[in-house]
Amino acid sequence: MKRRDVLTALAGAGALTATSRRPLNPSLPHNCGCAPQIVTAKDKPPGAAAFHGVGSKLRITNMRVFGVTLDERIAQADRPYIFVKIETNQGVTGWGEATLEGKATAAMACVMDLKDLIIGSDPMQVEHLYQTMYIGSFYRGGPVLGSAISGIDQALWDIRGKVMGMPVYEMLGGPIDPRGVRGYYHADVWTLAEAKELRDKTKAAGVTALKFQLPDLLECVETNAKISRAVAHMEMLREGLGPDLDFAVDFHARPSPTVAAIILREIEPLQLLFAEEICPPENVRAMARAVRHSTTPIATGERLIASYGYAELIDMGVVDILQPDIAHVGGISALWKVSATAEASGVRMAPHACEGPIGGIASLHVDAAGPNFLAQEICGFVEAGEKNRVWEDLMGFPAMRMIDGRYALPTKPGLGVDISEAALKRYPFQGTRPFVMAFHEDGAVGSI
Amino acid sequence: MRTISRKLRGTSSVVFAPAIAEDHPLKIAQFRAWRVKEPVSNRRYTVVRLQSQGGVSGYGEGGPATAAEIVAARVATLDRRATESEFIRSALRRTPALEAAVNNAMLDLVSRAKNVPIYQYLGGPVRYKARLLGHLEGTGPAASGPSLERAKRQGILAFTTAAPLRDAMIPLRAYVDLVRKQYADMQALAGPSAEWVLDAAGAMTPGDAATIAVALEASHPIWFDEPTAVTSPDSLAKIVDESVMPIGLGRNITDLVAFQTLLASGSVNIVRPNLALNSLTKIRRVAALAETHYVGVAPFHDGGPIGSMAGIHLNASLLYAYAQQIPVPASDRDAAMRVEITSGLKETGDKGFFALLNRPGLGFEVNEKALDARSEERI
Repeated sequence: MKRRDVLTALAGAGALTATSRRPLNPSLPHNCGCAPQIVTAKDKPPGAAAFHGVGSKLRITNMRVFGVTLDERIAQADRPYIFVKIETNQGVTGWGEATLEGKATAAMACVMDLKDLIIGSDPMQVEHLYQTMYIGSFYRGGPVLGSAISGIDQALWDIRGKVMGMPVYEMLGGPIDPRGVRGYYHADVWTLAEAKELRDKTKAAGVTALKFQLPDLLECVETNAKISRAVAHMEMLREGLGPDLDFAVDFHARPSPTVAAIILREIEPLQLLFAEEICPPENVRAMARAVRHSTTPIATGERLIASYGYAELIDMGVVDILQPDIAHVGGISALWKVSATAEASGVRMAPHACEGPIGGIASLHVDAAGPNFLAQEICGFVEAGEKNRVWEDLMGFPAMRMIDGRYALPTKPGLGVDISEAALKRYPFQGTRPFVMAFHEDGAVGSI
Repeated sequence: MRTISRKLRGTSSVVFAPAIAEDHPLKIAQFRAWRVKEPVSNRRYTVVRLQSQGGVSGYGEGGPATAAEIVAARVATLDRRATESEFIRSALRRTPALEAAVNNAMLDLVSRAKNVPIYQYLGGPVRYKARLLGHLEGTGPAASGPSLERAKRQGILAFTTAAPLRDAMIPLRAYVDLVRKQYADMQALAGPSAEWVLDAAGAMTPGDAATIAVALEASHPIWFDEPTAVTSPDSLAKIVDESVMPIGLGRNITDLVAFQTLLASGSVNIVRPNLALNSLTKIRRVAALAETHYVGVAPFHDGGPIGSMAGIHLNASLLYAYAQQIPVPASDRDAAMRVEITSGLKETGDKGFFALLNRPGLGFEVNEKALDARSEERI
């Protein structure tokens, strides 16, 4: 018996509450006693009979998931792209991205686990389907489920926009500025001369912001040598880039709060755009310890799921900038909710994006409608590389390349992208690869 | 308890691009407003009609506004596209009644242009019917009776009942007894199927409100609404720390920061943004905040029927929306005027719920002749 049939059978059985303990219909699956069989709606997705009078005539007829592996010489091997395509009975299709670093196969499987909740449903009910997937999955979050929901949610918004005949950012109340949204590229230099050369190239390209990494792995307490090297590296960057080019530094959760506090104290005069993931993300109070002595803007959030994941950070006033990743947080629906909650506390948004091009473009739509938006990331460099050629091959245009420091907004309805399935076949999925690991000199696992 | 507040932040100002010059079917070409007053209750509200270059109209309602405010809102709105709700939310933030009216009119306009109900445009229906909360006129069984009878005829099963005010000469114990008795009398009058919200309209001190909350918590009101006007976290802590009564707050709040403060301090169990002062666009942001605290949303409404219907569309699109408050006039003349404005659509439910309308925009035609006839001023 398929899960869909079980749901229908449950609906037909009427309400059975935990307290009533009436005998279950013998045709129902075994009830272990810890999962009460409560059904009160006329029906559930798929089918959604309860909504027949108020929904649209559109129905989802198929959902497909594509794994896309690029040559590891041009893209990180741990993150084959996971694209989701939703098809409908009226020929409208939507695309989304569920890429999850190091867990590609799990995320693809999770997308298909959600298929029973999606096929047959009305794609216009994006909030209802988001809640169906999030609450209905019981465990409410985690990166695998979050990424799967993200891919599906983006595809649903793509369909909504196409049906309405407007870009998604217009449906969200934007754009704040039709010229596009500010972005930054990644960069990697090690000498003052390199930094100055990068400054010239960056300015020539019209780009206004960059992001760098720390030079070393860091332990829970650190030596003068490593702390000084980290600070000196950032001082070198400021000197080489000059005073009028913004740059951020991604600590990538390498330091402990203890070490982060020291570094943050010393780099205040550099006036960074932000310091990112200054310590591991699980313990908000620990992060608060590190940031209370610094005025450097603090950013975090790429590993958090759903708007709930950000509530404590916002309520406690710990950070200045949130960085949800639209491929993990729960798609457009969740990214918009995080943005809305952040705005109420004066927290800005700089969404993370270090996967494929669909997620990057989906982020632009939320960015364009957010009054508290700051800058959009993409894993790209000032000089376009081979990966950008592949993206152009997939998307039909040079996706996520800035013009005058901004990512241009799509103008077509929906997300404004049209993926070539023929092109996808040129980059066949080659399985999951683990996230890259790093070890300290004594062999202990380090946070990279 | 808050352990850190690194920086006290306000919402940042944002620079919006100027209106796009080229023609567009959704560009707002006409702006018209009515200042409306109901004849008996004197309930006042502002209705705005926007018309796009493409010839589609949309209607929105907000609280009372002056003619000067309406003229300023018209200047800000004309030539913008009806999709630019974030611009309007920012541009009209100092005149919240018009922010609500204009932004809701834009939503109606766009939804009509796209031939979908507003709830569909807002993210699709999460429910197929919306729970109604009848806002009764008067205090106590005698004064509220006519309003309650009308509400019951309208198929409403949940109601607000106004708490009596405390005269300085009334001892606290007598006051508690008075509130308890009046609540019981209203329960008896409405029958066992009725559910109640106790509405203090911000008139109690935090101390009195705490005492009343404890005294009535076993009666299980759905919530205790606006127990006090003193909404600092420390003052509200007196109420929320001493009772398990759900507390509703927010009818006078117009900025997101204040809602966030209530939620972060655990001072509220159901947020009540006022439809007269907050657009659906803004309330969706309040709802996003509330959702992260598992707190429900039930917009306060004591305005006109266009606002009621806008609230129902919002309710239909938000999981954590609990109920939409509907004013229930005691007077037949007020009730007739409301039905006239909505071209015959009644704010009625079936077994406590309003069945969603699957028609474009708000789902009904606004009767402009009625607005012309009933308004204090047309601008």
